[in-house]
Amino acid sequence: MRLELASYPVGTLDLENAVARLEFRDPRIASVDVAVVEPGESVRLTHVLDAVEPHVKPDDPASTFPGALGTLHPAGSGRTNRIAGAAVIACADFPAEERPLHEQESLIDMAGPGAAYSRLSATTNVVLTFQPADGVGNEDFEAAVRETKLRAARDLASLTIGKEPEAVEELDYTLGGTGREGVPAVALLLQLSSLGPLYEIYLYGTTLDGFQPAPVNPLELLDGALTGGEYHWAGLRNSTYSFQNSALVRELLAGNGERFRFAGLVACRGYNQSAKDKERAAMLAAKVAGELGADGVIVTTDAGGNSHTDTMLTVRACERAGIRTVAMVAEMGGLTDHVPEADAIVSVGNAEELVPEWRPERVLGGDVLLDGRRAAEAGPVPVRNYLGAVCQMGDMDLRAVAA
Amino acid sequence: MKVVHYLNQFFAGKGAEELAGLPPFRIEGAVGPGKGLEQLGLPIALTIACGDDYFGEHEDLALAELLRWLDEERPDALVCGPSFGSGRYGYACGILAREATNRGIPAVCGMDPESPGVIATEGAAYIVPTSTNVAGMRDALPSIASLAARLAAGEELAGPEEEGYLPRGLRRNERAGAVGAARAIDLLLAKLGGDTRTEVAARFDHVPPPPPLRAAGEATLALVTEAGCVPQGNPDGLPTIRAAAWLRYPIAGEHLLREGEYESVHGGFDVTAANRDPNRFVPLDAARLLEEEGRIGRLHDVFYTTTGNGTPVAVSTKFGQEIAEELRDAGVEAVILSGT
Repeated sequence: MRLELASYPVGTLDLENAVARLEFRDPRIASVDVAVVEPGESVRLTHVLDAVEPHVKPDDPASTFPGALGTLHPAGSGRTNRIAGAAVIACADFPAEERPLHEQESLIDMAGPGAAYSRLSATTNVVLTFQPADGVGNEDFEAAVRETKLRAARDLASLTIGKEPEAVEELDYTLGGTGREGVPAVALLLQLSSLGPLYEIYLYGTTLDGFQPAPVNPLELLDGALTGGEYHWAGLRNSTYSFQNSALVRELLAGNGERFRFAGLVACRGYNQSAKDKERAAMLAAKVAGELGADGVIVTTDAGGNSHTDTMLTVRACERAGIRTVAMVAEMGGLTDHVPEADAIVSVGNAEELVPEWRPERVLGGDVLLDGRRAAEAGPVPVRNYLGAVCQMGDMDLRAVAA
Repeated sequence: MKVVHYLNQFFAGKGAEELAGLPPFRIEGAVGPGKGLEQLGLPIALTIACGDDYFGEHEDLALAELLRWLDEERPDALVCGPSFGSGRYGYACGILAREATNRGIPAVCGMDPESPGVIATEGAAYIVPTSTNVAGMRDALPSIASLAARLAAGEELAGPEEEGYLPRGLRRNERAGAVGAARAIDLLLAKLGGDTRTEVAARFDHVPPPPPLRAAGEATLALVTEAGCVPQGNPDGLPTIRAAAWLRYPIAGEHLLREGEYESVHGGFDVTAANRDPNRFVPLDAARLLEEEGRIGRLHDVFYTTTGNGTPVAVSTKFGQEIAEELRDAGVEAVILSGT
């Protein structure tokens, strides 16, 4: 596969004008408040569901975010225009809480101490705050938000069509990778949540319920094949933005050939439901990694709790198959699960640590946090409430150490 | 710099076992090991002390008095012990150090790593590891004096390895200088090259399986769950996550848990399917069958429940100990613990 990623820095575009022209027509949505915020502004974003980098396929805009929004063409090839340094942020509070989401507040602080805990504190953010239409339930409202935020991201990126990009990256990757003689083969076992409504990552617009480990081209991931719809712990989950800009995929593509052979990316479901489902998925992930010829794998985690068990069982299955592993996990005070085979773990930080109090001048997304505190004077906030703070795909430089 | 020192009756110079029942008392300035701390440059403003038995038997009273003195003095640091391998003394040191820390007074203990005082601190205090007996006094005091002086001066300490205190079970965040993605690749390539390293080592209890029941047909069996199963409507307000307590509900005479009468409030998994048959949280139906068939003696009259979701290990451990104590007192010999 060959992807041309054309970058248009947000500062070179008339974003305000494009934002003003955004249209929202969905009977499931009563209203959308739109605001643009810049890094350094005294603003806290609350109830953040997802973040999306504006992308468009200039040669076929209708195929952008295939499956989730656009027509079904494989992502990862051809030209994609991206607005670099910008994100669409979808914020919403669910009207009728059928699931106990109240501990799972999701924040982005544009300044203050919390700004060090999200990549989205450093982007120009087009903040969309959604209100559901009367009588629309959580699942329908969420589906509407999910589609609308992607449409907004695509429509904003359409501003770039016909313009000269600042830079074009040419990314080339074929399953199996390439490597000089003697370098080890490394694969990525990428965990993607599928726990039920409001806790789903989407692959070409469908959930991973029933999905078994299978290769996905890393360029598909960078090009919008994976989209977010998972509203667990904000710090531990993966947004659409973090797939589009995955530090891990970027590092693996960059190292392919010289330091190692990047043998492939294997998508794996997280939150397999039963013990047997977990064991089966772990076994199959190790089998696929083995078929790709991997000497070693990096096993990532999406969200937390019993998805950490999926991670650990996958580590065990790989090690037993003779494939060396590194697991990447966030700590929740400590490890949630562990197997003795997991002897090399990257700690992406302790999600429970408190970030000092900060009082923003402005709050977008909703003034009252899910736990009832006022967002502008909420006191110290745990790391887990900041979007992507302890991203278990390794986007951030946080690490927990003994104290 | 103002430092208060806690000792037991023996180290405070009152006497040995025969005076272990002494209630809290105070002595201006340094006594016993405190003199050693002073020689190392840590001035002791006040020594507070208590008999080991008195503390163990009247913990609330003893603690209230000792804390009242700390509240009056507002020291910059508290030193407890060293208590070496002593169980009762170590426990008192640990509890007082924890409570002082929670009041904003940094505390340093010295004790054997196996002392019950270590768990009693709940990670709140700094503990310098010592030998099991008083022969280790000379080795222990310099570290204790140095950590206490620095904490009293408001310094932040580095990690347990650099500073020589026991890991408190706390995990502090730092910036690693490279993103997790780059570190993962480095760790993997190093491991493939034969150099296995980790950023976090597991610290799990390994519970040895108990011996089989002597006579299952005579044993009382209890049902315990962390599935968040409660009577419909959650009358006692069990939290969906981070539960701070456990509950018990009667099941005497009941043969199963009916849909609509019991439900799960657990916030960590989709409870919809199991709410249609709450026996899948608490297997009362199957346990009654075992009872009828004589494969167990009888079923305990209450079941125990909490929400095992986001619960810190220390809190879960405490729940387990409390529930186990009740079960043991009730003569329960076996438990089915349904996890989710």
